[in-house]
Amino acid sequence: MPFLSHGSYRIRYELDGPANAPAYVLVNGLTQYSELWGAYRDTLIARRFRVATFDLLGQGVSDKPALFIDQDDHIAVLHRLIGELGDGPVFLSGISFGGLIALRYAIEHGARLSGLVPMSCFAELSPQLLLIGNALRTGLILGGTGYLQDLLLPMNLSDQWLKPLLDKLDNVKRQGWLVNDVYALQNLMESFLDFKPLTPQLSSISVPTMILNGEFDFLTPRALHETLRVEIPDSALVIIPRAYHAFTLEKAALTADLLARFAEDVLAGRWQGNKQVLIAPEDAGGDFSPFPAGYDHLRAIPVHRPAT
Amino acid sequence: MSAFFGPLQADGRVPPRQQTRVAAFLVSAHGALARQFAVALPARFDAAWQTELNAQFYRESEIVSLLMRATAWVPDLALGPMAASWEMAWLPAPIEGIADHTRAQTIHLATLAHAVHAGIRPAALLPTEANANDPFVMALRRIEFESGRLLQAQILFLKGPDLLPFRDAVSATLERRHAEVRRLWHETLAGVGVDLRE
Repeated sequence: MPFLSHGSYRIRYELDGPANAPAYVLVNGLTQYSELWGAYRDTLIARRFRVATFDLLGQGVSDKPALFIDQDDHIAVLHRLIGELGDGPVFLSGISFGGLIALRYAIEHGARLSGLVPMSCFAELSPQLLLIGNALRTGLILGGTGYLQDLLLPMNLSDQWLKPLLDKLDNVKRQGWLVNDVYALQNLMESFLDFKPLTPQLSSISVPTMILNGEFDFLTPRALHETLRVEIPDSALVIIPRAYHAFTLEKAALTADLLARFAEDVLAGRWQGNKQVLIAPEDAGGDFSPFPAGYDHLRAIPVHRPAT
Repeated sequence: MSAFFGPLQADGRVPPRQQTRVAAFLVSAHGALARQFAVALPARFDAAWQTELNAQFYRESEIVSLLMRATAWVPDLALGPMAASWEMAWLPAPIEGIADHTRAQTIHLATLAHAVHAGIRPAALLPTEANANDPFVMALRRIEFESGRLLQAQILFLKGPDLLPFRDAVSATLERRHAEVRRLWHETLAGVGVDLRE
């Protein structure tokens, strides 16, 4: 198991796939760990990509600072990891908290990237997200990691995914509970206490950007992704049908295919962001559909977009 | 070696030798915290935060009481020297950058409590097939759960505005404490066939 150094801390990472291939770097969400990208690793390697995954500082097998984790540390670690990949094309993707880290990386080191895929992401804390985040932190404090997982599972996954697992949820939660410590998760959550919105800096992201948002994402709803679409020049917003916040877990085959197709399109010069709003196919390999013309993609019912 | 207790007994209980070694370590650590909180506890409170001291003292005492009764104790000749080294480790050490004795003592207690409450996860040693009705299993789950709550007082204090000017000294002391407690914990477990080292 290889480790990177960040000051006195060790960061566990993994590199797989052909060394001279274009690389995908995948950044975990808050309660995740790098093994959860296993299906992506397989798909992307089969599509001739190199894949880099890692546990964030404070997560999984990486070291867990006892008291403070600064979000700048994640950017520095990511920069070091990307430095391990040589000079070839690098595509960066992250989910939720990891999406935020990816956005910040693209703002600060965009020249090193060939493409960016923020998923279930946000550039600012809306009042709802701020209050939900506070409540989740209180849940972690009062009930531990298990209770935080109890809150997140029904919020972020569909009935279809949950139903067959209802009597096995303890097993589903166990690995995340084992590798993530209360104090370390709390430190990660508290790194938002001095969070500054990224919105004013999003327009500086010049790389092709595919923004992925679950149709039914409750935690980071469409409006938060819309900010990214409006502000990032070469972007497109892709809505994942019937998906919730954690669609990278629930729809891994589809999402891995979307990542591969995006990078292949960018590398072949086919990508055109144009701030489009697209609907992803239901299954891997299917066709994208444009969001119906004239309708408001920020609404949950078919309402005509206000004339501008 | 495995990262979990075992092999379990036929009824899903943790082997008494493993129970004894782990309970002895936890009694030593939480007992030391109980004693140190008792010393810090004034007879009469004049500040709201002192109510938390009271809570910490009684919860630590409860953990010791719980382990004394829930553990299937067996003789363990190695415990004598091990316990002596644990007790030495819980003693205050000078904190570089903190000249004020009272403040240094307070930081010592908070960092030790943080390291024990955050770094020691006894329930994470239980394999999935452990007998949920066994008192030792229940005790470990309870200790880990309560530790997460007790930890909040240490987090609030150590991250609080009073210690902001000493952030580097506090962080360094806490990291050292974590490393020391983690080393002792891992050594304790390795002696009974449980390996947490990466």
